[in-house]
Amino acid sequence: MRSNANGAEQRTLLTSDVAAPADALTRLVAHGGQQFEAFFERVESVELVPKGAPNRVRQRKEQGLAVRKIENGRSRLAAADTISGPAFAACCDRVAGTARSIGTAPPRIRTGRWPALRLAEIEQAESRLTRAVNRHRVGFPMEINARRHRRHVQVIRSRVAAPPQFEEYFSLQVTTPWGVWGGLLPSLAAEDLDPVALCLVDRLRSRGLPPHRPGPGVIVLGPSAAAVLLHEVVAHALEADTLALSGSPDQVVGLKLGGPELDVVDDPRSAPLACKRSSDDEGTAAISRWLLRRGRVRQPLADLVWAERYPSMIPGAARRASRHRLPGPRTTHLELLPGAIPERELFAEAAGGLYIGEFERGNLDPFDGRCVLRAPCGRRIGASGPRDHTGPVEIRSRAVDLLAAVAAVGDRPLAGGAGWCAKDGALLPVWARCPSVRLEGLEVAD
Amino acid sequence: MTFARLPGTRSLRLALGAVRERTGAPGAELYVKAGNTRRIEIDPWMTPLPVDPDDLDTQVSILDERGWALRAGGANRALFLADSGPLPEPNGWRRLSRHSLRPGSLRLPSPSSGTSPSPAADLAEHEPDDEETAGLALLHGVLRRLGERMPEARLIRGRLDTGASAAVLASTTGVTGRTALRLATVELDFAASRDGRQGHCRLYRAASSLQMLSADSIASEIAERLTLATALAPPFLPAGEVAVSPALGCYLLALLAPLLRGRSGWRRLRKLGAGRPLGPPQLQIVDDGALDAGWVSAAQDDEGVPTRAVALVRDGEPGEPLLSWEDDGWSGFAAAGCRRRSGWRALPEVCHSHLYIAGGSEPAESIRAGIVHGCYLLDRAHDGQCHATFEASTNGNAGGLGEGRFEVDAIGLIIRRGVVLGEAPRVRLTGSVRQLLQGIRAIGDDLRFLPAPGAVGAPTLLLTGLQVEAIG
Repeated sequence: MRSNANGAEQRTLLTSDVAAPADALTRLVAHGGQQFEAFFERVESVELVPKGAPNRVRQRKEQGLAVRKIENGRSRLAAADTISGPAFAACCDRVAGTARSIGTAPPRIRTGRWPALRLAEIEQAESRLTRAVNRHRVGFPMEINARRHRRHVQVIRSRVAAPPQFEEYFSLQVTTPWGVWGGLLPSLAAEDLDPVALCLVDRLRSRGLPPHRPGPGVIVLGPSAAAVLLHEVVAHALEADTLALSGSPDQVVGLKLGGPELDVVDDPRSAPLACKRSSDDEGTAAISRWLLRRGRVRQPLADLVWAERYPSMIPGAARRASRHRLPGPRTTHLELLPGAIPERELFAEAAGGLYIGEFERGNLDPFDGRCVLRAPCGRRIGASGPRDHTGPVEIRSRAVDLLAAVAAVGDRPLAGGAGWCAKDGALLPVWARCPSVRLEGLEVAD
Repeated sequence: MTFARLPGTRSLRLALGAVRERTGAPGAELYVKAGNTRRIEIDPWMTPLPVDPDDLDTQVSILDERGWALRAGGANRALFLADSGPLPEPNGWRRLSRHSLRPGSLRLPSPSSGTSPSPAADLAEHEPDDEETAGLALLHGVLRRLGERMPEARLIRGRLDTGASAAVLASTTGVTGRTALRLATVELDFAASRDGRQGHCRLYRAASSLQMLSADSIASEIAERLTLATALAPPFLPAGEVAVSPALGCYLLALLAPLLRGRSGWRRLRKLGAGRPLGPPQLQIVDDGALDAGWVSAAQDDEGVPTRAVALVRDGEPGEPLLSWEDDGWSGFAAAGCRRRSGWRALPEVCHSHLYIAGGSEPAESIRAGIVHGCYLLDRAHDGQCHATFEASTNGNAGGLGEGRFEVDAIGLIIRRGVVLGEAPRVRLTGSVRQLLQGIRAIGDDLRFLPAPGAVGAPTLLLTGLQVEAIG
């Protein structure tokens, strides 16, 4: 079996031969229009909550499987909270609608050991973040809730078993007297905690300031803020199920959404080290997918069901929140390719404009294309770049207007803007790598 | 599908013994939960109505869920571990050791802190019916009836969940408990366009069984909401009385939930009145974990503490706070079973179960008909604002608590002397929490519950002193 795309330590979910369940799935196929797939999942989260709370260390482990039948664009899924041959056979019976659908003897399915607990890195998060904040010559009370997430996935579709996938990442929630910051991090190393410290310090310096209501003008978005903007107005807008709300999803190919400086790619293979994916949650090979090429739509995000409905669509973007949910087309790792403009020049002739380092929330209305982005604070741009802090900023605009306002793209892409995507209540981690961007002529409301 | 059997309390006690032996923990508690859900999702993606049932893309999921959670520890060290699958055998706890306990603390209720012995009766395990056909029939019935009433409606997506779950717990303090429930929920998103005006609505309803959900009334509710959502905005809005339907009343009550639980909520609630009654004498706000025929009704909460009705607001005055067993006796008030888990992965937290404004004696119809010049607000506007803020006061008073304000976007009707003058596709109802409660002028007799976390119920309410403005 091949290793995972993230090149991390080889971790195998199933230690038994995957050929046995693969053979069993082929026995379910009654005719060529049916596809069967088995999804094996193991999830672990370890959480360290602030001192004084009961049960400071909280460990949650779970594993299970799901068997799905796809026929004529319809799915039938059966899931169980255990991984074993009998559980697999029972799920096969439920989707096939017959008893002993794969024969009398269930296949042998065994799982490997759980990885070691490794608490030290989570326990050090608080002191490391405090030091990172102190380097900005400030200090304030913080309550830190740190969590490590690990997920193993193995998908078998009829005779094909995709490479096992493993993801490991961290989530932090920092509570200060003036608000809560939350986000995802690929690690708890200093280089990943420094940007968090900067966000916290910005919030400290903007605490108590009234909402900022600037008129139309230049807005420069830092890499994290640009990532959230692209997640809402490019990734969500180009998911096949979102597109289907307003017409045929394949009709958007070739549509001009922005200027030629906008090259946007979704590539799960280049996500942060321990979160790389070589295949999606349906076992389809992940690809580097051009969402926008020189501002025009190239390839919407699709999974198997949407690719079956619209043959011009390419699957490989299926994600599941858990074995209990059906997959859907979603982004994993969004990249805005760098432009040619040095970062400093983005601020040229932008005096009086606004710099936004992060958005804490974003929302796209799929029906009318309106987008709302909320930043906890901003900074007025002076002659030499960002200076005075402002209060919260809210940007309300149509998605197409936001993309049309992108006038320049910086030359230094950075990882940032990672967070939970909660579309349809399915919580999924999403990653991004973007340079700063400059918006011109956009209206900002409170 | 067979429903996995839960372990008996003897098995749990054996496991607890093994855990204590391995970890040296002074106390421990095990919670085991199993459930099954049959989910039907339909994604017709704006298919016009009425739709042929065979043309619907239905996705069916049959889910078996099972897991357990262990809490162990004492005053200085503790452990929380949750895992899926069946409870390990007594010799399956070998991975635990004294080092498994980490800094932290654990307190568990004891029978003396308000708990009662577990009922001797065995858990009534539910044999799940094959409800798929009935579920599909309900969804098709809704679509057919809505198509008859409003052919321009388009279904965006629909989801129907029917299921049952059961849980058992035991602790080293001698507490044991068992709960079981069945629930059916339906969530439907629709859109419509009238004279170029777009409107949306989302309906989320629950019942103890699928048979109690009526396709006709759901279709009627959707048609009513879509008609309002696609109406022409009125040139003006009267600034008089506002009657709110039970559906909108539930959302308003849910916004007040932080005031209605725990010690801090109680302090805020007491200050809210500022020397005056909180509301009219007929105002009763209750939380009842053991409500007859309630969706999440149980004799005990998820820590095995007996549930009971708690009169949070009695005759318009603060009644008693909703306190967990840890706060039993605080300010002379008794605790009630109110700590619930959102699933086997979650720790128990203080939350409401059936939080409701008790129905009054006035017929709801007469409240609506009695509006001299005002609005009847039917429901939340799709994707509109619905929030309350309870920020600390910034006026410099030490320990001062802000009054709290709320803002809800709604759809409704403009009424004058009982006659509908026009429709309001989107209005914003705002005011202070104090105004909301003290401005209640009449309470209808049509108490109705909606699913929230738990269940929230309200009858028709007549409100005054709030601001209503047309938006967007």
